[in-house]
Amino acid sequence: MAILIMKDIEKHEKDTILFPSFHLEIAASEITAVYSTLNVRSTILDMLTGSIPSINGSIMINGVTLANKKSDYFSQVGICYFEDGLYERLTIKDYFMFIGRLYGFNQQYDSIFRITQLHEKRNKQIKELTFSEKKRVHYGKLLIQSPPLFIFEEPDLNVDMETKRIFISITKRLQEEKKAVLLLTGNMETAITIADNVYRLDENGLRLIQTENAEQTMELSEDEPNEDNKDKEPQPIQFNKIPTKVNDKIVLFDPPEIDYIESNDGQANIYIKGEAFTSSLTLANLEERLQYVGFFRCHRSYIVNLQKVREVITWTRNSYSLVLDDREKTQIPLSKTKMAELKDLLGLK
Amino acid sequence: MTFSMKRVMAIFQKDMKDLSKNIYITSTLILPLFFAFFYGRMDNLTIDVHYMVINLVLAVVTSFVQCAIIAEEKEKNTLRGLMLSPATLPEILGGKSLVSFILTIGTILICTMLTDYEPVNLSLVALAIIISILFYIALGTLMGLLSRSVVEASVLIMPVIFIFGFSSMFQPFAEEYPILSVVDYLPSIQLIEVAAAVESGSGFADVVGNLAIIFVWVLVAMVATAIVYKKREMDE
Repeated sequence: MAILIMKDIEKHEKDTILFPSFHLEIAASEITAVYSTLNVRSTILDMLTGSIPSINGSIMINGVTLANKKSDYFSQVGICYFEDGLYERLTIKDYFMFIGRLYGFNQQYDSIFRITQLHEKRNKQIKELTFSEKKRVHYGKLLIQSPPLFIFEEPDLNVDMETKRIFISITKRLQEEKKAVLLLTGNMETAITIADNVYRLDENGLRLIQTENAEQTMELSEDEPNEDNKDKEPQPIQFNKIPTKVNDKIVLFDPPEIDYIESNDGQANIYIKGEAFTSSLTLANLEERLQYVGFFRCHRSYIVNLQKVREVITWTRNSYSLVLDDREKTQIPLSKTKMAELKDLLGLK
Repeated sequence: MTFSMKRVMAIFQKDMKDLSKNIYITSTLILPLFFAFFYGRMDNLTIDVHYMVINLVLAVVTSFVQCAIIAEEKEKNTLRGLMLSPATLPEILGGKSLVSFILTIGTILICTMLTDYEPVNLSLVALAIIISILFYIALGTLMGLLSRSVVEASVLIMPVIFIFGFSSMFQPFAEEYPILSVVDYLPSIQLIEVAAAVESGSGFADVVGNLAIIFVWVLVAMVATAIVYKKREMDE
């Protein structure tokens, strides 16, 4: 049964279309991510809370609409805003107890402390916590609230590794508890690593980004003819520079300079020291060219330069990320099937 | 919409704990206490001096605390979370008003102890003070809705302290400039008149007019608060 149903939602701003009409449903124990710009994201959130009317469409959460009964509607949904405030002078324990009283929470707070791993800091004032720990307090607030639909806005932006791990385990837990989860993020890596269904929402509408399940079947059919080709005609000379377009110029990059490549709507974006360059080649083309110089297709929409990978993180049994050796410690999703391939490549069992 | 005392108490306890660690707001309590201590050293205090301290408490503590704790919720981005929670606006404001109310009663008790004020008819004076507190809470809520941060709140509170806290000082001028006789109808002056009447042995029937005037102020402040709230809601 669908917990969240957004029907015919659209938004025009003056002359431009922010996003055309779309339809989104999220069922229980489903984690859905919507990848979008900040502007789109805040509009969606405002529509969900009713501060921007959704004129032609309707939003229904667990069978309740906002027009129906406001208090009922808001009891169905918990929103973790990126810029939510906390009562900084309260201790975590006092804060959780306050939220608990507000929402009529009657279980043990210990489990909340355990899940968010804030047990040792429970008697500390919130203002003494780090940014990542404050984020965990936000997660805890939502867990106490425990609505049927959880909405997270940029839940893991700028948080440390420990907190990200905790967040991922929280989402898995919510899934087991048959909750629906909606992630709104501008970070593709987060969306792919955490969610089952990833959508991109922009002026072209809401489109599903294919992730693992769809990928497995497609890979099989694609791979076989490729390998035949390779055996037949090994290419004698490799021109190894990768062309990209900057305005009207064509800039050539040496493969070792490249950190990773992300597919964006059929176009490949090449990331070099945190900057993105558009390439005219497709991801498949690039993969073919680069696989001999230490590049690896780690996900349907990503190619990574293995020389730059510092760490492979296992979030849960089947969600992984690669951490690069750059200043931002960029994280790149690694799909389950590719994990096995990577292990082979590295000579691990 | 159900009014749940449990949620009111949750908000009350939260704000009490929060306030106990908030030096910026609690430091304003020192001002009336300082005045009380200062005047308490002198002998033979007139009723005007006692009530200057009490009116100061009402303006500085009641209005400012109420205003500041509402403004802080906005400043720190926590009001949104509260509005999305099951707590309704009357519950949120109820919890906050309770904080201001208890803090005011406490401060007034300490101040009167310091100035050795013992009214002849305690219950009547208490009634007048409580009605006054309601007015100042409504005023504080109104200012809280208007201000966006604690700093703005402390600017807004200045005219309130000036007009209501020190209004007894304007009275001598009223004879010279008749226009200032409006001052006589301020709730703070009415409160002093009630107290003075009680001191001279009047009963409830004698001061009911003054109490009514203060009560009209309460109603005006509440209506103004409701209008501002509705208007803000439309704007956003």
